Amino acid sequence: MIKLHQVSKNFSQFQAIKSVSLVINKGEIHGIIGASGAGKSTLLRLMNLLESPDDGEVEVNDQKLTSLSSIDLRQARKSIGMIFQHFNLVANKTVFENVAVSLELANYPKKERRNRVMECLQFVGLETFMEKYPSQLSGGEKQRVAIARALANNPQVLLCDEPTSSLDPNTTAEILGVLENVNKSLGVTIVIVSHEMEVIKSICNRVTVMTDGEIYEEVSIEPKGIQDIDDSPKRFVEQLTKDGEMHHA
Amino acid sequence: MPEILVQYEAEIWGAIGETFVMVGVSIFAAVLIGLPVGTLLFLCRKGQMIENKFVFSTLNLFVNIIRSFPFLLLVVFLIPFTRFIIGTAIGTAAATIPLSIIAIAHYSRLVEQSLLDVPRGVMEAAISMGASVKEVIFKFLYVEARSGLVLGLTTSIISFISYSTIMGVVGGGGIGDFAIRYGYQQFKTDLMIYMIIIMVILVQLIQFTGTTVSRMIDKR
Repeated sequence: MIKLHQVSKNFSQFQAIKSVSLVINKGEIHGIIGASGAGKSTLLRLMNLLESPDDGEVEVNDQKLTSLSSIDLRQARKSIGMIFQHFNLVANKTVFENVAVSLELANYPKKERRNRVMECLQFVGLETFMEKYPSQLSGGEKQRVAIARALANNPQVLLCDEPTSSLDPNTTAEILGVLENVNKSLGVTIVIVSHEMEVIKSICNRVTVMTDGEIYEEVSIEPKGIQDIDDSPKRFVEQLTKDGEMHHA
Repeated sequence: MPEILVQYEAEIWGAIGETFVMVGVSIFAAVLIGLPVGTLLFLCRKGQMIENKFVFSTLNLFVNIIRSFPFLLLVVFLIPFTRFIIGTAIGTAAATIPLSIIAIAHYSRLVEQSLLDVPRGVMEAAISMGASVKEVIFKFLYVEARSGLVLGLTTSIISFISYSTIMGVVGGGGIGDFAIRYGYQQFKTDLMIYMIIIMVILVQLIQFTGTTVSRMIDKR
């Protein structure tokens, strides 16, 4: 579903991503975890070319994004949803308009837009919030609107950049529940970047651990949770603690 | 009504009309050209959607140069240009040219500043949804920055009124010119004060309207 082939990204002198290759399978919930500055967000943003790689190839939905024209790239992005840590809703648009704009961009038939927006809002449980503005919503509600917006065009992939990092633990669980539902009932492949182990543990099937712009390791997680599997997850946990210490030092 | 106002009623209305023409054309130029210029200034910046050093530097230099002129000098400096466009450098129509030039420079800078206030993440969300440059501008940037754009225009309009008062030097007329010629030069101080009162009322009305509209459309 998503293939990164020897992808590199530099920010002036800093090598954010160092020739990383990664394959994410269809239907997976894939976590990317690592300390801050490890390149996990950059890696995610390469998947819809929000950052364009200096080297390497990015393939999503069997399309090589890195060789598309800008018009085709915009088209391709319509089937790659994305949500963010700070939600990034348009504050001057109502909940309804925030979701509808995504349909407008995709030239969704005008007459059916309203129904589609309603469907998406129902899916995230916010159908009664249509006329509200983002400033009237809680963080969790804003993220639900962002999810509805990202789902409007029936994407095959949903990219989540620290989706719960500005939410409290209860709301985090709620949003993770919604994401799990997106994966299970709509079959959307999900990639989640997070620095919180709990988040990754609770919903991911597979995890990529990043350090210093490289993949440290990839780990499969059984649904029962990470603590029950031996060896490699321990390294994963150790790695994270090590990173944490390095950070405090 | 004071006798002196009755006596000069026709001239006063004429002067008000001239001010409206000069300021009206300036507003038109500000919105029609200043808004796109300000948007380009923003979008061509480093790290923005259509980053372009050449376009940015050129527009930036143009805006800075125009704005560093003392306005009176700009008017005089532009006389050949005005004559080329309008056919004459004298009169209300001719006065609109330097006013429009300063209006474009003035408002484009305020537009750029308003757009800089739009959270970067909103633009990223737009791009991630596959929005084109035009769609980002009209469906996201202007929507999110609209109250700032209105407030900026309000500030600009008030500056245009102020600039228009010195257009008497090229026979542009207007309330300011009337106040100088009749009030100051003919020692009718009361007439000058009435003109100032008219200007104060005008500015109050514009500021009130601008503030109210911008508050009404701001849902942030």
